[in-house]
Amino acid sequence: MFSKVLIANRGEIAVRIMKACQEMNIKTVAVYSDVDKHAPHVHLADESVSLGDPTPSESYLNIQKIIESAQKVSAEAIHPGYGFLAENPDFAKACKDSGIVFIGPSASVIKHMGDKIEAKKTMQKANVPVIPGYHGDKQDVSTLVHEGKKIGFPLIVKASSGGGGKGMRLVKTDDELEQAIEGAKRESKSAFGNDSVFLEKYIDKPRHIEFQILGDEHGHIIHLFERECSIQRRHQKIIEETPSPMMTPKLREQMGSAAVAAAKAAGYTNAGTVEFMVDGHHQFYFMEMNTRLQVEHPITEATTGIDLVKWQLKIANDMELTVKQQELTQHGHALECRIYAEDPAHGFLPSVGTLSKVEFPQGPNVRNDAGIEPDFEITPYYDPMLAKLIVSAENRTESINKMIWALSQYVVLGVTTNISFLAQVLEHPEFQRGNITTHFLETFFKDWTGGKKGELPVDALIALAVYDAMHTQRQELVRFKEADPHSPWKHVGRWRMGT
Amino acid sequence: MEDGNIGMFINYEHANHVYNVTVERRENEFFITYDNIEYTVTAQEIKPGQLNVNLGDRMIKCMISEGEDRKYVFINGQVFQVKRVELTGRRKTEKKETDLNSPISGTVVSVKTKEGESIQKDDVIMVIEAMKMEYLIRAPYNGLVKKINFKEKDQIEIGKLAAEIERTKED
Repeated sequence: MFSKVLIANRGEIAVRIMKACQEMNIKTVAVYSDVDKHAPHVHLADESVSLGDPTPSESYLNIQKIIESAQKVSAEAIHPGYGFLAENPDFAKACKDSGIVFIGPSASVIKHMGDKIEAKKTMQKANVPVIPGYHGDKQDVSTLVHEGKKIGFPLIVKASSGGGGKGMRLVKTDDELEQAIEGAKRESKSAFGNDSVFLEKYIDKPRHIEFQILGDEHGHIIHLFERECSIQRRHQKIIEETPSPMMTPKLREQMGSAAVAAAKAAGYTNAGTVEFMVDGHHQFYFMEMNTRLQVEHPITEATTGIDLVKWQLKIANDMELTVKQQELTQHGHALECRIYAEDPAHGFLPSVGTLSKVEFPQGPNVRNDAGIEPDFEITPYYDPMLAKLIVSAENRTESINKMIWALSQYVVLGVTTNISFLAQVLEHPEFQRGNITTHFLETFFKDWTGGKKGELPVDALIALAVYDAMHTQRQELVRFKEADPHSPWKHVGRWRMGT
Repeated sequence: MEDGNIGMFINYEHANHVYNVTVERRENEFFITYDNIEYTVTAQEIKPGQLNVNLGDRMIKCMISEGEDRKYVFINGQVFQVKRVELTGRRKTEKKETDLNSPISGTVVSVKTKEGESIQKDDVIMVIEAMKMEYLIRAPYNGLVKKINFKEKDQIEIGKLAAEIERTKED
């Protein structure tokens, strides 16, 4: 096994990976930018290396600085976490070229799966269903219009190198098609420097359901069942669960086999995720493959008992995957909520500030993966996700109830968070019935303003007054009173009879 | 004003609304008035910022922390950001005009004035107790007490007129 691993990331995922390393007696190395000097991941590591300037391109995204850091401390392997350099084939290659093990799949697999059109072609060849569409090289408008009419409506025009909704158009009728293609091309050109687009059938009542994959360097590939990730805002997941409330044993079998076939077709090794879109008729389509550890991996760990990060380390160390598909089962139900420093009442705008208090809920089957602690400053440089709360229970209803309870105990003071928003999503009757699609939040929570939060409850006023009275010294009161006759400190007589 | 206990008038601001509160501590009891209701509570600070407040048969559990210019109050899974507005000079904050109708059904604990007496705005006329809380009926303006409709130990129903005050003609 490795004796020292550098974690090229920050926040909760760096902490999570370091804990797995510690369990396995592997020394850990943190990297940090100037604003993260006192971050929890730095405190936890055995050693740490400064990356300087907090700008991502100068710190956590800087391949050269990270490779040099690993060489400086003689780390044998680098775990990239998720985000930052996790899906950058140049980084995986740079590691290999420097004689450092990249904990993840090979650079060529990352590159291949990162190209959405190439990935879909590979899947089609492996008989993995893909969304009907046109992914051809012929990019002239008349070819695209012709192909679009073959797919039928509604359809979506998407930028090949796109993301975040840029270069994307929903087309409902054929007379809108030509204009939409031209618009998407213009937008894509200016956003990504490439005007290549593809066309896809529009999926009605779409659910985002993904399968966790583990593959070793010896030809073994297994799946660890599904994760339902339909609750999203701005195309980003905020609540994930497993099993999916819509899943049937038959569909799970079909999708699991397709996921394994997809991973085999890609030549996949280490931990990865195959993302599918599932429509209202239980038809599923390959969307993309995430060639890394997923944010929501803990719900799979909670229901299978498998430690995915430890397996990543073992597989990267050339060990054989000894877990057999037929031995794997799902136990109970698990939910994850992502705790963000953002304001759901104001368009999920990120919130910055210093955390004055942090208290995590504790209880049976409650897991906190966190990258925060009191006095830590939340800066605008990085993703505003603070932590993840994961609970598991015997079934979905109990899991939801446990999560609502756990959120009610979750204290993060100093920045605005999405905690009470998450609780209200879980309390929504349609969520409780399992009737969720990727449009859930925009359908039911579009103009959410904070629910009951508008008025300050009298309990809060009482508590504040008690707190302020407790924390004001008597001498201080007298001093104030004498110094300023108009000060708010006054003698208040008791008007009650008999006292 | 029969004794010299030191109390505080505090104005808390939340979401552009100002809440006027008074608090007075007497040994281990706190007397808090807000919106003409007095709450008598005992409280314990379990660890810094974490309070358990006993209000009758109810317990308020909360967590308070101090930011640069505001306090954060965590209560029942919700967080409120509250600023303390210090009153300097005689600046008054917006306040609802008080009402002579009882806000609640309860028992008259005491009557603070007599018919025929003159009374200043905000003086307490009557104290009503209900559900272990005390509600104050205050004079909405300067005037003369024409009639007091209830005496000590009387039951008063919600919405009933507690007293009649003839407004003093100013200037």
